Amino acid sequence: MSRLDAKKPSLCKSEPLTSERVRTTLSVLKRIVTSCYGPSGRLKQLHNGSGGYVCTTSQSSALLSHLSVTHPILKILTASVQNHVSSFSDCGLFTAILCCNLIENVQRLGLTPTSVIRLNTHLLSLCISYLKSETCGCRIPVDFSSTQILLCLVRSILTSKPACTLTRAETEHISALILRAFLLTIPENAEGHIILGKCLIVPLKGQRVIDSTVLPGILIEMSEVQLMRLLPIKKSAALKVALFCTTLSGDISDTGEGTVVLSYGVSLENAVLDQLLNLGRQLVSDHVDLVLCQKVIHPSLKQFLNMHRVIAIDRIGVTLMEPLTKMTGTQPIGSLGSISPNSYGSVKDVCTAKFGSKHFVHLIPNEATICSLLLCNRNDAAWDELKLTCQAALHVLQLTLKEPWALLGGGCTETHLAAYIRHKTHNNPESILKDDECTQTELQLIAEAFCSALESVVGSLEHDGGEILTDMKYGHLWSVQADSPCLVNWPDLLSQCGCGLYNSREELSWSFLRSTHHPFVPQTCLSHEAVGSVSNLTLDCLTAKLSGLQVAVETANLILDLSYVIEDTN
Amino acid sequence: MLSSMAAAGSVTAALQVTEVLEAIVSCCVGPEGRQVLCTKPTGEVLLSRNGGRLLEALHLEHPIARMIVDCVSSHLKKTGDGAKTFIIYLCHLLRGLHSITEKEKDSLMCENIQTYGRHWKNCCQWKFISQALLTFQTQVLDGIMDQYLSRHFLSIFSSAKEKTLCRSSLELLLEAYFCGRVGRNNHKFISQLMCDYFFKCTTCKSGTDVFELVDDCFVELNVGVTGLPVSDSRIIAGLVLQKDFSRYCPADGDIRMVIVTETIQPLFSASGSEFILNSEAQFQTSQFWIMEKTKAIMKHLCSQNVTLLLSSVRQPDLVIYYAGVNGISVVECLSSEEISLIQRIIGLSPFVPLHALSQCEISNTALVKFCKPLILRSRRYVHLGLISTCTFIPHCIVLCGPVQGLIKQHEDALHGAFKMLRQLFKDLDLNYVTQANDQSDTASLFICKNSGESYKVPDARNGSIQKPYPDTVIENKDELEKTQTYLKAYSNLAISDVELETYIPYSIPKLTPADTFQTDETLRCLSLEKNRLIGDYEALLKSSSTAYSTRGNNRIEICYENLQVTNITGKGGLLPVSFKLQNMGTSQSYLSSSVPAGCVLPVGGNFEILLHYYLLNYAKKCHQSEETVVSIIANALLGIPKVLYKSKTGKDSFPHMYIRAVHALQTNEPIVSSQAGLESVTGKCQLLTSVLQCLTKILTIDLVITVKRHPQKVHSQDSEDEL
Repeated sequence: MSRLDAKKPSLCKSEPLTSERVRTTLSVLKRIVTSCYGPSGRLKQLHNGSGGYVCTTSQSSALLSHLSVTHPILKILTASVQNHVSSFSDCGLFTAILCCNLIENVQRLGLTPTSVIRLNTHLLSLCISYLKSETCGCRIPVDFSSTQILLCLVRSILTSKPACTLTRAETEHISALILRAFLLTIPENAEGHIILGKCLIVPLKGQRVIDSTVLPGILIEMSEVQLMRLLPIKKSAALKVALFCTTLSGDISDTGEGTVVLSYGVSLENAVLDQLLNLGRQLVSDHVDLVLCQKVIHPSLKQFLNMHRVIAIDRIGVTLMEPLTKMTGTQPIGSLGSISPNSYGSVKDVCTAKFGSKHFVHLIPNEATICSLLLCNRNDAAWDELKLTCQAALHVLQLTLKEPWALLGGGCTETHLAAYIRHKTHNNPESILKDDECTQTELQLIAEAFCSALESVVGSLEHDGGEILTDMKYGHLWSVQADSPCLVNWPDLLSQCGCGLYNSREELSWSFLRSTHHPFVPQTCLSHEAVGSVSNLTLDCLTAKLSGLQVAVETANLILDLSYVIEDTN
Repeated sequence: MLSSMAAAGSVTAALQVTEVLEAIVSCCVGPEGRQVLCTKPTGEVLLSRNGGRLLEALHLEHPIARMIVDCVSSHLKKTGDGAKTFIIYLCHLLRGLHSITEKEKDSLMCENIQTYGRHWKNCCQWKFISQALLTFQTQVLDGIMDQYLSRHFLSIFSSAKEKTLCRSSLELLLEAYFCGRVGRNNHKFISQLMCDYFFKCTTCKSGTDVFELVDDCFVELNVGVTGLPVSDSRIIAGLVLQKDFSRYCPADGDIRMVIVTETIQPLFSASGSEFILNSEAQFQTSQFWIMEKTKAIMKHLCSQNVTLLLSSVRQPDLVIYYAGVNGISVVECLSSEEISLIQRIIGLSPFVPLHALSQCEISNTALVKFCKPLILRSRRYVHLGLISTCTFIPHCIVLCGPVQGLIKQHEDALHGAFKMLRQLFKDLDLNYVTQANDQSDTASLFICKNSGESYKVPDARNGSIQKPYPDTVIENKDELEKTQTYLKAYSNLAISDVELETYIPYSIPKLTPADTFQTDETLRCLSLEKNRLIGDYEALLKSSSTAYSTRGNNRIEICYENLQVTNITGKGGLLPVSFKLQNMGTSQSYLSSSVPAGCVLPVGGNFEILLHYYLLNYAKKCHQSEETVVSIIANALLGIPKVLYKSKTGKDSFPHMYIRAVHALQTNEPIVSSQAGLESVTGKCQLLTSVLQCLTKILTIDLVITVKRHPQKVHSQDSEDEL
């Protein structure tokens, strides 16, 4: 009989949100995420006290995955933000801040959770339907025939991650590279269903960012000594490739469940080696030029292949197998015996390349959607951040391809949306309430909490003590530097709005974001001329932002609905 | 000494424990209920409003609490629903019992008995009460349900014979169900999702077997995707396997698939055997043979147009390679549950590779509509369009949510809903005893009621139903009701010999075949035959009972009722077969009937108030001791509606609602419910029985003794003694 310890009883707490401890932990988390937000966000250094890896970041994905939270409510919050980031790669901090703000603002009101949740859901659907509607004033179509808007989108992502430590010129260079890499993954003659290729990011730390580059095909890293042994092949036609997924090391593969008894003098190793050499002979007679193996190739077989002017590269690793299969069009071979001729593939050319201190074999495809982004940055921490950023940017471009719209960034969408919601709830509350049991007062209170939560998100874009204003025509965001003189003409101080679409030459009236002002109708329907004339816009991914908004409100609703927390202490 | 380790197992202690539990569960009950966050020792976070899960997560230490939790979980195993209600009932019952003792204590105080003595005396009293409870539960409760409550039941089916459901009534049922189980901003969406799923998966021919299949395999029929809003959840046609292809070869046209449960590549040496190698050449030849054999099998599969291979085990690289060469897609490492689900849907048996080459044609293949990779949030799945051979049309639910804990909650709720439907589609047997002297009372009461009411009631019912539920069709319900009332009338009256004779002859032929044949198919044939039989008898009856033309009609309905009972016993095979009419004429009659499948009542404490009302009426006719017990049970029932109406004020508050309902009952008017929504009667009946059983168990314990070591199992020693 097994000995089992009796389970300890769980801790059960009622009304968790009213406890002081939860409030403080929530506000600590909020301070961490708000201080990271935006291009001028502060960096966080995460490290273990006993040494090891140090992470310097301002990105939600890196920040939250390194942060260990213990309180179950925080776990719910961080988990939902992390899940959002892993599916959309962008707007993680936005989601986290909005969620914290919503919880804080609503808590202060002291309304019943039922009406809070119901109204929050109504306001959310109001936002979503507005952002998806034709009349939306903060959404622009993405034109794939020119690079302008796509570049703006990538640039906005790069500039919002200050821990990449990029200069202006470097930002331009990397944005162009990312866009090129993305375009390389799109198949040239696609009909109907498009299957995007893959961009492999190859690390090259300690180099200048400007040295980063994009190459079509795959780079396989190799030591210099190995590289010297590879014979240069001169061949005009495409090279024939065999890709093995099984080991060619001469191990005796599984012998079944029974026992194998060997007579004296019988060497299985020799038998297998014979088999391998036979395989080599078949490869040579099939005129294979390049043998790639996921695992290890036996040195004798390698030598045999080299003798017959066949390049053999082993230990490719499982991660490269799928791109290699796709690029060369091979069937990964799992047999040591007869190989069917249609399982060979081809590459256009193989050459060696040296970048920085690293040596690579470069497989150049005939036509394929696989490319390698050789990414350089000065140090490990900055490289890691840059890599995450590049992945995020590539993902955002993919999402934009599916839904070709972008939202105005720099906080303009949020202020515009807040103005729209205020106006809607003020002028037409019946349409929102419909048959619900909530009162108009409740709606006004919740709408105010919701809008101010949105506005405090953009409020946290400003970290240097500056002021944030909003104009009364478009509902965009304008920021003023901290030490600007008072009582001057606003247009002189403000040059352009957060997203860069409007400038202060227009006759506009401004008011402080945090001050109370009368609800106004923000101008809907963006004119095409206005968008076309501006070259440097700050843009956000529509899909990611929409989901971030939904996840933030849903998570806040979930947390506000909690009546008990039962903690298992075992 | 003993007192330091032992605590009196009193009602007071049990009440204290249940009151704490009640405080926790009552905050998640009903449409106004809130969420509870549970953490697991692994650090996982779970959101829940599921009573069973909460009680489990608390890891209670108190012995009585543990006993209660055990009772709840055994109830849940049976019905999958009602844990929170269980606790609330129990708490109110204990409270009722406690208040009696408090009263009695006051009267006892003056007598000044020693404390221990009083304790023992109390225990004797408890034992008496618990016996009274048991008698009530086994002999009276079902009778009240059958005789009084049943006339209020509605049927969820649009036609009771075929057990077909219309969407609007299912929506009402599900919405009420999910109200208490998922977050309040999601319950509408989830119930719509479930409704869609139900109608997509079933055909008009589908029966309860679909619920059984979905209930058994629910884990395989849903896919959770984190990081997306809940509203992205959807239903997709076909089956989604939570694996990626090991090799994917796009195929057009006919896709044939096979299932294997062993490696296709022959093993070098079989388990338990010895393989003696004498030379290197021998090794090479055997390797070559293996390779050629594998190649041949895969070629053979290809020649039979097989393009998909599902395997429950990992296949060697060689097999995958030749599969790729021959254009066969491979999915490996499927769990046994997934394999069995696929087998249940398409009725395909696994393919045995070694026998394959000897046959020229492989019989174990199945046609698949499509087979493609499905990408959900950058994870790849296998999407199969199975062609079903049973009544279940395969569909999968993709559940999205910001966190895993929420997805789990929705999954649990959906699973529970299928369990509930599974129960709802079954009849619930009711067995009870009627005393002879009582009988004449109730009978006469019934008959006068019947004479006046039996024609009035259906009309009143129609009126009451048409208002809140315009789409529920309940014609058959009325018939059934009539039938039941008449049956009661018959059972209590002396019935003429002629009538008895007409029954007995044809209840026998129906029963005997049911005993001899066991398989489903024969039963199906049988039921056809039965229909024919009944048809004949209908004609017979009509012709023979010309004198009683109106009664004749009713009798035909009774035959139908009997037929239903036989059907059920035939399928179950175990239940004792008993008919109302067979037990007649004795002074103490054991009656049995059933709550027919699909019985529902409007939500919002309707069941509880009705039962409360009828129990109080019943209590008035009881002896004094029995009366207290019955009225305690009756009053405890009000606990649920009290919780449900807690947040309501003014005219919707509980006292107002209660007075309105009782008034309506007294004047035979329909009760108007403020909430739309339906709930299953079967679940409620089972719940009440479980609670009373639990209470009986609590009351019979007089002392709780803490022991340091495990209580030893005595069974084994007993058997040794016997030897």
